[in-house]
Amino acid sequence: MSTIRVRSSASYWLALPATVWMLVVVVVPIVLLAWVSLWGGRSLSPTSPLTFDNYAKFFANKTYIDLALSTIGHVLLLMGLTGLLGYCIAYFLVMKVRSPIWRLVLFLAFVVPFWTSTLIRAIAWVPFLGVNGVINRILLALGATHAPIEAFLYSRTGITMAQVSLYTMMAAGPVVYMLNAIAPQLREAAMTLKAPPFVVFRRIVLPLTLPGIVIGQVLVFLNVMSDFATVATVGGNKHALLSNLVLLFYEGSQIRAASVVAVLLMLCMLVGVVAAMRVVDIRRLGTDR
Amino acid sequence: MDILAQPIEVDSAAKPGFARPQLDLELRNIRKRYGDFIAVDGVSLKVRKGQFVCLLGPSGCGKTTTLRCVAGLEEPDEGDILIGGKEATRDPPWQRDIAMMFQDFALFPHMTVAKNVAFGLEMLKRPKAEITARVDQVLKSFEIAALANRKPGSLSGGQRQRVALARAMITEPRLLLLDEPIGALDYSLRETVMLELKLLQKRSGISFIWVTHDQNEAFSLGDLVVVMNHARIEQMGTPEEILQRPATAFVAGFVQGNNVFHGRAAGTSDGLLAVDTALGRFHVSSSGSAPAAGTAVSFSVRAEKMTDLVGDEHGNRVSARCSAIEFFGSVRRHLFERSDGEVLKYDQFGAQAARIELGQLVTIGWRADDTVLHGMAG
Repeated sequence: MSTIRVRSSASYWLALPATVWMLVVVVVPIVLLAWVSLWGGRSLSPTSPLTFDNYAKFFANKTYIDLALSTIGHVLLLMGLTGLLGYCIAYFLVMKVRSPIWRLVLFLAFVVPFWTSTLIRAIAWVPFLGVNGVINRILLALGATHAPIEAFLYSRTGITMAQVSLYTMMAAGPVVYMLNAIAPQLREAAMTLKAPPFVVFRRIVLPLTLPGIVIGQVLVFLNVMSDFATVATVGGNKHALLSNLVLLFYEGSQIRAASVVAVLLMLCMLVGVVAAMRVVDIRRLGTDR
Repeated sequence: MDILAQPIEVDSAAKPGFARPQLDLELRNIRKRYGDFIAVDGVSLKVRKGQFVCLLGPSGCGKTTTLRCVAGLEEPDEGDILIGGKEATRDPPWQRDIAMMFQDFALFPHMTVAKNVAFGLEMLKRPKAEITARVDQVLKSFEIAALANRKPGSLSGGQRQRVALARAMITEPRLLLLDEPIGALDYSLRETVMLELKLLQKRSGISFIWVTHDQNEAFSLGDLVVVMNHARIEQMGTPEEILQRPATAFVAGFVQGNNVFHGRAAGTSDGLLAVDTALGRFHVSSSGSAPAAGTAVSFSVRAEKMTDLVGDEHGNRVSARCSAIEFFGSVRRHLFERSDGEVLKYDQFGAQAARIELGQLVTIGWRADDTVLHGMAG
């Protein structure tokens, strides 16, 4: 047995299956999508002339532009909410829960719901948020309201509530990991150097967990951008984001328009990820250089 | 190193509220327990201005917990901590006039060396220009100016140690607490660093409290050595006192080069206490009141006080077979099997010719005056 050296032929052969798989299921479909989005003419065929008309049509329509902008706004709101909540949960789990058993119990309580699919969890919100739903009944029973609040289901509020619950742990997970990696002596050293607790947090803990925050935000960003299911189930047909537009065009057999929106969506995500990588270089994580 | 070349203001009497300015630290009967485990049990200690104090003991003896209580990182269950004569028992770490150096140095990995060193001054809200100037000066005096813009992750152990020390000392605290500060260094580096630290401590006038399990560190550095075991102080004194007159069987056994004997007192005659042990009766010089006959006592004799050239003055004698000989250059150590299962140590000056062979049956003797009866001193 010999070890495999970098750049030996064996390492290339080992990378082959994954490369082929990625080519077939990721690269080729994306190239096809981009290609279809450029098809011009009247008929849908590979012989169509290539043109940017489809993109021009999209950008000429104010409704679509507004939808894109509101999607970005919605995503930013969710990143803010899940980021704040997620950081608090992570900080609580790592720094405040001292008993290992309680930490495990709480961690499982947060993680176990992830064993169900996102779609199921999204649908599960419907009986909670409805006019006759659990939340409204509780509010009525408590006398907090006199009439059921309709704004929960089939509304932006409902979508936001559901998505916050779906994605907060994505923001918290990487922060938990980074917080665990901070040696307690670092905080103690800062304290003996006259730093009160909040300054210790701002100067030591926060900068050291920044990579975790950014990675969590990237996860939330990508998931919310592509989450059409929650919007469709909790938002009904009244609300849509860019991802729902893809579905809408696809169901209406407007393949070229669907491709355009899909390509734009992917570009948005790419820009977001590149921006995040400029803040934190994920490849250098854990080297503490 | 040329740290703190300019005089440091040590006139604490000028500051208000100091009842006892002559003491940098006073511990009064500190107790700390974790559940059923008692970590520190009734530790009292006085540290005079500018003293170098070493807390010495095996791991788990409570020395680190004591240090963390002084730092404010642990709160004692009972007792008082006075720093510079001022009650500080309930003060959080950031309000105490201390700095601490950690075993693994605890440098902030996301900050450059210069930022690490500047941290303490930034916390004191000093003006920017003053901080920059002072950091430059300190980096130079610690000979780490070339590393100013490096991150700790790219430094060697010795460099990290200097950065950690510079960071701790830049604010000129009253007390510097050091938790096994050179334990993480290469063995070859330790001696140099120890010498530097000793000189630095004398020059700066800052009191050092140095926690270690290494008696070489403690005896070569400390003005005052505090030997701890099982959460209690066994003995405190100068290195000479502890080496020459161990107060307990534990201290005698913990300090290298002692032969410890256990037995029962069997009466006094001519100022000598007779002690019956498994190896026979020995005579021990005892000053003051001798223990009553029948009480359990222990005593020790240093290995270099033994001799194989037994004369009339060597009233205590043991016959034993030599089981090992170790030559250290300055001394030649002989190990003998004692009939009680312990090992008898006899050190001969290395410059003298070897007289004992392996396996030889030898009579070893020592003078009653060279024995130290435990429980009498300290």
